[in-house]
Amino acid sequence: MTGPDLSIDEPLLESVARVVALEGETVWLEPEPKASCSGCMSLAMCGAKGGGVRALAARRFPLPGAPALKIGERVVVGLPEGSVLRASATAYAVPIVLMVGAGITAQTNGAGDLGGALAMFGGLAVGLIIARLIASRLSGRGELTPRFVRRVASGGDCSRNL
Amino acid sequence: MKDVILLMVSATLVNNVVLARFLGLCSFMGVTTKVDTAIGMGMATTFVITVSSMGDWALETFLLAPFDLGYLRTVTFILVIAAAVQFTEMVIRKVSPALFRTLGIYLPLITTNCAVLGVALLLVEGRYGFVDSTVFAFASAFGYSLVMVVFAGLRERLALADVPAIMAGPPIGFITAGLLALAFMGFSGISAN
Repeated sequence: MTGPDLSIDEPLLESVARVVALEGETVWLEPEPKASCSGCMSLAMCGAKGGGVRALAARRFPLPGAPALKIGERVVVGLPEGSVLRASATAYAVPIVLMVGAGITAQTNGAGDLGGALAMFGGLAVGLIIARLIASRLSGRGELTPRFVRRVASGGDCSRNL
Repeated sequence: MKDVILLMVSATLVNNVVLARFLGLCSFMGVTTKVDTAIGMGMATTFVITVSSMGDWALETFLLAPFDLGYLRTVTFILVIAAAVQFTEMVIRKVSPALFRTLGIYLPLITTNCAVLGVALLLVEGRYGFVDSTVFAFASAFGYSLVMVVFAGLRERLALADVPAIMAGPPIGFITAGLLALAFMGFSGISAN
């Protein structure tokens, strides 16, 4: 398995992941949970941190071109900043902009609440189809494949390392 | 069309959820260390706010208001928001598993905060129709994202500035946020006339 063919000069967005399985030359990692606030000391109580073991297991990903790693080891993985932006725009912006645009168009043309709602759902469906096409193109170019950056020093605080 | 534009400007700038209503401050301070993360987070939150506002509107119009169940509003809206977050994750996973995994590595798992609930409750006050309520929610979320990105840019510059040790980190961040809120107060003079 080869790594993505992307420019090394582009700045990387980094994140910490843990090695959970080794299958031949493929290393499987699990991302460490992040909270959308991450500024509060009571994260464990409010439920914002994590999302459950199942949710994390669903996010396991292979890491091509990684050096010899052991299970349980924490590593920093990176993806070009532009790739992360393109990924989030594809997943979120395209469907929602088309949905709202369709709703506004329908309302401007005299449609009521029901017509507007139908137009919005239609716009959302079209947006999701377009998102799927763009995502497969990004994936084909290797833009959605993270790369190994470095090992996290043992005992290190990942949040400070990044 | 003019009404829609006014509604969007009002929700985005004049009544900005972060700087005028002071909602979503936890993510405003927590996720704004890098511009790219702030943009991604803003887009994810925009999606969740817009989708959940549609469910909230339907429940408010067809269940809570007709049966006088206003006392269940907050609990109901929290349920709708939780469902919208799960729905968003499920849809992205179905649309593209690779996209889902990539976003899971670099963006927070749970994209909800008090701003999401705040916007839903503001919709009830506004008494909008379906499309208008969705547009209001989208514009409010866009305002949230805009402020997140602006603030992340400022913080990236602050990280390079020679800030006194006692003011470094959150203190200078809060002062900057205060100045940004003052700047946004300038929009409060804008009206339909």
